[in-house]
Amino acid sequence: MKLYIGGTGQGQLEMARSENPGAELIPDFHLRIRWLVENRQDLSAFLEDFCRQHPDAVIVSDEIGCGIVPMDPLEREWRQMTGRALCRIAGQSDQVTRVICGIGQRIK
Amino acid sequence: MTILITGGSGSGKSALAEKFIHILCPTEKIYLATMLCRDRESELRVERHRQMRAERCFRTLECPKALFSAPIPRNAAVLLEDLPNLLANEMFEGGEPDNVLRDLRNLSRQCCHLCMVTGEVFSDGIRYDSLTQTYIARLAQLNRSLAAACDCTIEVICGIPVLLRGTLPFPL
Repeated sequence: MKLYIGGTGQGQLEMARSENPGAELIPDFHLRIRWLVENRQDLSAFLEDFCRQHPDAVIVSDEIGCGIVPMDPLEREWRQMTGRALCRIAGQSDQVTRVICGIGQRIK
Repeated sequence: MTILITGGSGSGKSALAEKFIHILCPTEKIYLATMLCRDRESELRVERHRQMRAERCFRTLECPKALFSAPIPRNAAVLLEDLPNLLANEMFEGGEPDNVLRDLRNLSRQCCHLCMVTGEVFSDGIRYDSLTQTYIARLAQLNRSLAAACDCTIEVICGIPVLLRGTLPFPL
């Protein structure tokens, strides 16, 4: 597994594509977590299946947790769950790249 | 030594802070908890963190504000979690936000090791009401002042520690 993260539109998707031609690419991982939270699905069960089903995938996600804690409980939970899910994905990944201004920093 | 750990929501700050303090001081250490527990959600958070710390011999001291009054023994190893809550309590629960930095400096002087968890709340592009803007500005200034005085400052990204300044207490 490889993980590319960054703030919205920082170029993580393009970088993931160009560095991994032909690989299974899973964009907008944060939106999958959004769906889980909205539909009250279990995060650990999801991650378990996800990691098993996509062991060689390239995962791309926005970083969404660097703001004031929102008043809306669902928004709060989405940020928390996305953060935790990304910790898990990063733990399983051989390579983690954070992209800012289109520039990738390999942090793992 | 004094360590500052920052990062976004759910990024793994607590787990890293616990690891640091545990390795620096495997015996008795203090967990200085600043969060006011007022609803089921915060109770669940507290419970989750308690379970994470369960095997590491932390003694928990609740201190939502007025750090100077916490009964912390001298030369203890302390994990302070977290600054965004502490500052919010000082600002919005009748505390003294002007004293936070001074209290933290005093705490750092009296501890053998202090690991402070703060947070990144500065990048959502939202213009809040003036009170919240003041809070954000104060927290930003607090983070900057502390980072300048700490032995090391680390950002945690997806559970991965990235050294921002200083030297790590030990290789990770």
